[in-house]
Amino acid sequence: MPEGMIRVEGLGKDYGSIRAVDSVTFEIMRGETFGLLGPNGAGKTTTIKILTTLSKPSSGRAWVAGIDVVKDPSAVKPKIGVVPQENNLDRELTVHQNMFIYAMLHGVKDKHLKIEEKLRMVGLWERRDSPVQFLSGGMQKRLLIARALLSEPSIFFLDEPTVGLDPQVRREIWDTIRRIRARGGTILITTHYIEEAEALCDRVGILSKGRLIAMDTPKNLKTEIGSHVVEFFKDDGSLKRVVCKSKEEAQRIAARVNDTVTIRRSNLEDVFIKLTGERIER
Amino acid sequence: MKWYPVFLREMLLFRAKLFRLGYIFSSMFVPLLYLLAFGLGLGRSVRISGGSYLEFLLPGLIAMSSMTNSYNWVASGLNLGRLYFKTFQVLVQAPIPPSAIMIGEILSGMARGLFASLMIIIVGIVVGKGAFLTPIFLAALLLNCFLFSSLGVVVGMITKSHEDTSTYSNFFILPMAFFSGTFFPIDHMPTLLKGIVLMLPLTHTNILMRKAHVDAGFIISAGVLVIYSILIFLFGASLIRNYSE
Repeated sequence: MPEGMIRVEGLGKDYGSIRAVDSVTFEIMRGETFGLLGPNGAGKTTTIKILTTLSKPSSGRAWVAGIDVVKDPSAVKPKIGVVPQENNLDRELTVHQNMFIYAMLHGVKDKHLKIEEKLRMVGLWERRDSPVQFLSGGMQKRLLIARALLSEPSIFFLDEPTVGLDPQVRREIWDTIRRIRARGGTILITTHYIEEAEALCDRVGILSKGRLIAMDTPKNLKTEIGSHVVEFFKDDGSLKRVVCKSKEEAQRIAARVNDTVTIRRSNLEDVFIKLTGERIER
Repeated sequence: MKWYPVFLREMLLFRAKLFRLGYIFSSMFVPLLYLLAFGLGLGRSVRISGGSYLEFLLPGLIAMSSMTNSYNWVASGLNLGRLYFKTFQVLVQAPIPPSAIMIGEILSGMARGLFASLMIIIVGIVVGKGAFLTPIFLAALLLNCFLFSSLGVVVGMITKSHEDTSTYSNFFILPMAFFSGTFFPIDHMPTLLKGIVLMLPLTHTNILMRKAHVDAGFIISAGVLVIYSILIFLFGASLIRNYSE
């Protein structure tokens, strides 16, 4: 049995005439944090929906923990924890009620102990009797993570875990994700934040219009296009970027520009622009 | 017992709504309005099959209320859970069989329908007209709640927007409430209309609820309800089983 905890082969999904996911193939190893990076509408959420048994693919195959998600979805469900992009908590129920129902649905043993442990972990134990609708966006996201942890799954799916959250809350969520990773969990995370992919992921797959156009460690992806970027404003006011193989090359180019010049290390956004000609974060 | 958390969740949601002031009042308003307008207004000058109009009307109102409450609870709960709040995903991703979702949702709809019925039954007892409470009546009530909760699953699973739910209510549930023997007996209807009305499930609930004892008519109506229930249940269950976003 190979180590691949999540495996996808030629995966495709059509919605009418729109091809949301187009022959995507990748494999995620045990204990790895893998990021699917791409702009909105690139097919990230659809891929997660297929892997978490919510949606049936139009073509290709997918395995989670070695189990075919289409043929045997009920065997996949106990192994996964899902943090959806859209909050799917019961807003009228309290924090504790949401956790309790989930624990029952997943047949969690020692429910009350586990609920307390996970709520303390994300700092929501004091708010356990509050209806969810009175929690802030960041708290609701933390509750979603705590809930996904309840059944102590070995494979996690986090769909845009920090979208719409302020920077400080975003860092708190990152810390929580790092703690899941430290316990040896396999994590698939989707994001359209460059910083998030670089901060959390061992490997990144770049999705554009349903297709996986690159896949490697963030470091290798960046080295491949060039380690440094020179940025300056052209006479017409538009921003010009030049990707360079080395810092020395960047400095040579910068010396020829009369205006203010920035030299910085390349990031995954530069990789995406290089590959597609478009930006990720819009 | 895998259905129990599905049912419990719905009951917790129901309790949360009950605590909101006005929820019971607004859900009780329509049947009480009919009771006052028809039962006490019209009813004083009409006698039906040897009894007072109120005695005729009470079981009809219970049939109607149990239908609308069971149906609406399940249909709008599933519709909103699927399309708006996304809470249906949590059930689909949980390691429980599709039948557990189906059973949990139907039992919650039945509980909702029985709760609404209980309110009218209490009114009936208070005004001294509780004679309709027979074992046949209660069996018919349970079957009616089951049937319309199952229909709620079907509509909740096939609707593409929340507005669709009220479209189905307006074109199917509401006419049925009026023509199925809730407010007046169907015996004297024109033949064509009566033929259509006899195909509606609620008509047979109304017939059963007013039966004093088992006879041929009882068996026919019970058979129609059971067949409808099974078909709608199976259809709803297949919709949940084949759910895909």
